[in-house]
Amino acid sequence: MRRIETDVVVIGGGATGAGVVRDVAMRGYRAVLVDRADLGQGTTGRYHGLLHSGGRYVVSDARSATECAEENVIVTNIHADAVERTGGLFILPPEDPQDFGDKWWQGAKDTKVPAEEISIAEALKREPRINPHITRAFAVEDGAVDGWQMVWGAANSAKLYGAEILTYHRVAKIIREEDQVRAVMCTDEKTGEDVQIDCTFVINAAGAWAGEIAAMADCHDVTVVPGRGIMIAMNHRLVNSVVNRCIYPADGDILVPVHTVSIIGTTDVKADDPDKLTIPRDEVQQMMDAGEVLVPGFRKARAVHAWAGARPLVKDGRVSAEDTRHMSRGMSVLDHADRDGLKGLLTISGGKLTTYRLMAEHVVDQMCEQLGDERPCRTAEEAVPKSEEGKNYVVTHRLEEREEDRLADQIICECELMSRQSYVDLLEAQPQATLDDLRRQLRLGMGPCQGGFCTTRAAGLALEHENIDIERATGLLRLFLKNRWIGLWPILYGDQVRQTALDNWIFQGTLDVEHLPTPDEELTV
Amino acid sequence: MSKIVVIGAGIAGLTATLRCVAAGHQVTTITKGIGGLQLGQGTMDILGYMPNRVERPLDDLAALADEHPDHPYAILNADAVRTGVNYFAELVGEDLLVGDPERNVFLPTAVGALRPTALAQPSMMAGQLSDGDSVVMVGIRQLKDFYPGLAAQNLARSTLPDGGRAAVRATYIDLPARKGEADATALTYARVMDDPTFRQLFVTAVKKVIEPGEKVGLPAMLGLKDPNSWREVAEGLGTEVFEVPLQPPSVPGMRLNQTLVDKVKNARVRWVYGSQVLGGVAENGRLTGVVAGTTGHNVTFPADAVIHAPGGFESGALELDSYNHVFERTFDLPLAGADNEELLHGNYWGEEQPLFRVGVRVDEQMRPVDADGSAVYENLHAAGGIIANANRWREKSGDGIAVASAVRAADSLSTPTTAAASGAMDSKGDN
Amino acid sequence: MTDKSYAEEQLTRATLDHCVKCTICETACPVSAVTPLFPGPKFVGPQAERFRNGLSVDHSVDYCSSCGACTLACPQGVQIAELNSQARAVMKKNHMPLRDQLVSRTTLMGTFMTPVAPIANMALDMKPVRTIVEKVVGIHRNAPMPTARTQTLAGWLKKRPKPAEPATRGPIVYFHGCAGGYFETETSKKAILVLEHLGYEVLVPKQGCCGLAQQSNGLFEGATKSVLKLCEQLRSAGKDLTIVSTSGSCAGMLKHEAHEIMGVNAEELHDVGARTREMSEFLLDLYEAGELDTNFERNDITIPYHAPCQLKSQGMGMPAIALMELIPGVSVVESGQACCGIAGTYGLKKEKYDIAQAVGAALFKMVKETNPDLAVCDTETCRWQIEASSGVKTVHPIWLIHQAYGLPDPR
Repeated sequence: MRRIETDVVVIGGGATGAGVVRDVAMRGYRAVLVDRADLGQGTTGRYHGLLHSGGRYVVSDARSATECAEENVIVTNIHADAVERTGGLFILPPEDPQDFGDKWWQGAKDTKVPAEEISIAEALKREPRINPHITRAFAVEDGAVDGWQMVWGAANSAKLYGAEILTYHRVAKIIREEDQVRAVMCTDEKTGEDVQIDCTFVINAAGAWAGEIAAMADCHDVTVVPGRGIMIAMNHRLVNSVVNRCIYPADGDILVPVHTVSIIGTTDVKADDPDKLTIPRDEVQQMMDAGEVLVPGFRKARAVHAWAGARPLVKDGRVSAEDTRHMSRGMSVLDHADRDGLKGLLTISGGKLTTYRLMAEHVVDQMCEQLGDERPCRTAEEAVPKSEEGKNYVVTHRLEEREEDRLADQIICECELMSRQSYVDLLEAQPQATLDDLRRQLRLGMGPCQGGFCTTRAAGLALEHENIDIERATGLLRLFLKNRWIGLWPILYGDQVRQTALDNWIFQGTLDVEHLPTPDEELTV
Repeated sequence: MSKIVVIGAGIAGLTATLRCVAAGHQVTTITKGIGGLQLGQGTMDILGYMPNRVERPLDDLAALADEHPDHPYAILNADAVRTGVNYFAELVGEDLLVGDPERNVFLPTAVGALRPTALAQPSMMAGQLSDGDSVVMVGIRQLKDFYPGLAAQNLARSTLPDGGRAAVRATYIDLPARKGEADATALTYARVMDDPTFRQLFVTAVKKVIEPGEKVGLPAMLGLKDPNSWREVAEGLGTEVFEVPLQPPSVPGMRLNQTLVDKVKNARVRWVYGSQVLGGVAENGRLTGVVAGTTGHNVTFPADAVIHAPGGFESGALELDSYNHVFERTFDLPLAGADNEELLHGNYWGEEQPLFRVGVRVDEQMRPVDADGSAVYENLHAAGGIIANANRWREKSGDGIAVASAVRAADSLSTPTTAAASGAMDSKGDN
Repeated sequence: MTDKSYAEEQLTRATLDHCVKCTICETACPVSAVTPLFPGPKFVGPQAERFRNGLSVDHSVDYCSSCGACTLACPQGVQIAELNSQARAVMKKNHMPLRDQLVSRTTLMGTFMTPVAPIANMALDMKPVRTIVEKVVGIHRNAPMPTARTQTLAGWLKKRPKPAEPATRGPIVYFHGCAGGYFETETSKKAILVLEHLGYEVLVPKQGCCGLAQQSNGLFEGATKSVLKLCEQLRSAGKDLTIVSTSGSCAGMLKHEAHEIMGVNAEELHDVGARTREMSEFLLDLYEAGELDTNFERNDITIPYHAPCQLKSQGMGMPAIALMELIPGVSVVESGQACCGIAGTYGLKKEKYDIAQAVGAALFKMVKETNPDLAVCDTETCRWQIEASSGVKTVHPIWLIHQAYGLPDPR
């Protein structure tokens, strides 16, 4: 058994956990973050990528709207490499309630969400593909954020302040000594080794899984209702700024340009188990119909991948648990000292990716209060490593980079213009990573061919790493193809069928991957 | 002499075209672009798995037909396949395909699987390994589509057809195809390998990394036009070499494609390249012409008979739309298997996906038929990937089905005694 | 396609959705085959396009010659070359070199050069002058340049006697293109004589430039104006008349490029585009309808033939081969090459000249080996390129038809 000593253990490697560990570390505590899988593998990575301007909530949730507007500015600055300042539009289609336009406009003023009404002609000039029959258009400061890049940015910032980030460490038990938290017991999923992390405080930021974690400290009945939402990535940027449907928050009300794709989202259905999220066919159809309202002809455009995420919404008893959209999106902090008589444990849940930093600030403030420390939050002031204020991500970056190094380096994932060097470097830093782990940071296999041309290359290069043998390299290949398919088959139609046929031709036809020596046990992590 | 329109220029379309020319027909071949031959592995598959590994493909066809009476091989029996395969082999010649359709060979793939196929290019044949063989897989640093380690180590842990094992190791050479280019495709290499000077450089580089007595596995890039390139490499190295096909661009596939396209052009086939067929003109249950979208205006090509060889889902000839409706793009032909509620499922490594079995059902003359079994058009024949009920990539049956159906279609053309009148009656898909 | 807005978008950018990364276009590209400086059609086309948002960061797209071999080869229907042309237009918006403006204004060059043709020709033939031109303007000193004529086609039409025989087949519009009006007037004259021989009343309305050269250099605004003006001019000759052209590439501009590359959607363009026929296409259609006089004089000759890239892009096959082989004794050898290298104005440019020569090398060799005295090709700039680089006289297919009908040389 491995043993680590620290002050604070943060459980959960999503946006919230990464924000918390960064805040804790920046306030001078020793900190360790643990996650059962990779960073951003849960809800944070299964998201449509919107950095809210606040516009979505100006009518339904004034406080969230104002918070979003403020945090938007901060996140844009401290995570410049993860945030593209796309701008956004709220458009009012003719079939929607027309009086919502005035309500929305009033709400924007009241909540101080920066907005400007523009002419239909101007809206169509900015976004030529949107529905030309819209009756009103408002411009807002929406952005697009890469959740993985943001989480890794926060985590790397925390590391600079001495924090330790332990991915693939599954929490088995929170050890308490009477009314005080003492340690967190984990299992290293890659090696099977047990790890005990001695600490004085635990912040539970496990999102949809927070109830399970609280129960490990014998704090029961923490009910987090997972609200499942599906998202579909379209092959290219049908729009270059965020396009919102100007209605009361509903399903399929947004199209976000993120990197090279545009993502339509989302649905909201209560899920029983955040680990078993499906992508039902009727919800895909619902998204297609919603897409048609925003961009006529949407169904003819190419969908490349779909996924489902679980919003961690805290049940507050005011509305039916079936209708998660109307539950509070605001954050909630459970103080288990008050609630369960256990000191040294806070559960943070709810909220939005846009306000992840603010959530962290609140919960760490509360921790400091409990510990009797006065240490101010500084996370809004300092940019994360490799991010420079004012130099925000733009979609042309990779094309520009490859224009420079194209003759000297190889392009392994051609769809997403991922260079060999970037892949080999990351593999060197994270030799235990699966191809999906690498994908989340490099966009390997996330373009139109969905791994058809790059999977063999990625596995072949992985084998050249000294710690990876043929069994694992072949397993990585098999696992990656399996996982890509999970997000492919629910949206397989149109051009993506041709792609899948060609990919099958390559893997089954030419390479005969099905008849490679099969492993005794399929690789999972 | 009849006017035949062939739609498509993949393995089936090219084979049908040449077969029709040989029969004295006047042929127009219309293709949207370059056909699929150069996407494949460049060998002739007949039947590789059913689902166990097949040793004698023609012998096993009957068993396959018994088990799957709707399989294309149940309609095309072993004789038809033999005829088709032999015809195709004759067309491309012994520089490009050798072997015996009665007996499969098992050749290493780029990830190190042993892949069954019937005929293969002579440059690949030394890849048939036996117990105790010493093999070295040689990669090129500047070629990202071949990782010799992956091929070598998987091959080394595979059981060979004779039940034995080979000792396989991997190594690299560092040799840019063109100065200052770190990222080249197999095609870039194949082009420079046609130049004897580069070939010599290549041989010199490989010689340094191989041991005496080793067979040498190389990525398939040993020359594009010069059929002796690979032989010279083998002679230069003083040992047996074999080419391993890669993902596209497939150099072996390009060799086959170029050979056939040259033959088609030299035969003065009207080669309408870059045009999509939009539909047909029908009269009294027969097609009288085929409408193609050329630039500016559509053109109707008169036809006494049509051979439809547009491929399957990979080419978009068969489409699945966003409402989960499958259809045939050109003639809206009835499709077998399309009304399956579960066309797809979520297990990548599980059972086959039923979608990719969907296609047209054909009669003995390869004519698409409706649910009652009657020909949709008296003179419309289908060939290749559009035909239903095969699991081509898994079975490794696509090439055999293509050439057998193309030859059968060409040989059973239903043409009237007098040339059909043109005249647009029922123009479909004309937009 | 039920919705028009997306249908319009479908023009070009949206076709990138059809790309399955299969590399077929890469195998067809004549430029990436000879230089690593051009990353290839898949890269700069559907792949790079997903990363573009109005900024131009990938100047290697300028190495695309726009020959269209990729679009033609693509079995999925991606308009690769067209995507590249659009990306180049964005790239050049703010910093168009003088050279691209000069070589693309073909009418201006023609009108300017005609009155002083001997001097212009002398100047262009003189190495020192060309060296200065290369330095200042960026046109390579060895690049083939048109030879100006002392008489334009319009001048000839005015002065020549009326046809002796009255027309038996009604009127037809002849579109000669800039080159056919100013430089290669011989081809135009022969075409008119052949059409008259077949019984047509040949109408030759005043016609300006189609804008192709501007378009291929990314100057969409000027090109759009030019092409629309030309459409009006061609329409002025009469409604519903067939328009026949000996300029394969200019015909392509009218038939599809103006629409597909620049998104021009004017009714007059669609009208003219749908009525336009390339000369060999027109004559072969007549033949297939049983309406072509095939009373040809024998001509025992083997001719190397190159179908220009912009002709191939029209998706009609190679009608010139079948047409020429109607002449007893004629045997045509098709080049099998995608492009001669010139691709309009590409091969004229200083930094592209060597690439263009390498692209055309196999073609030049084939031409010389097949017949050192005569080659055939349908487009002017390609003929100039083949002639300059192989030394073999290269003519339009109509020259052979003209000769086979035993028609007199135009005077």
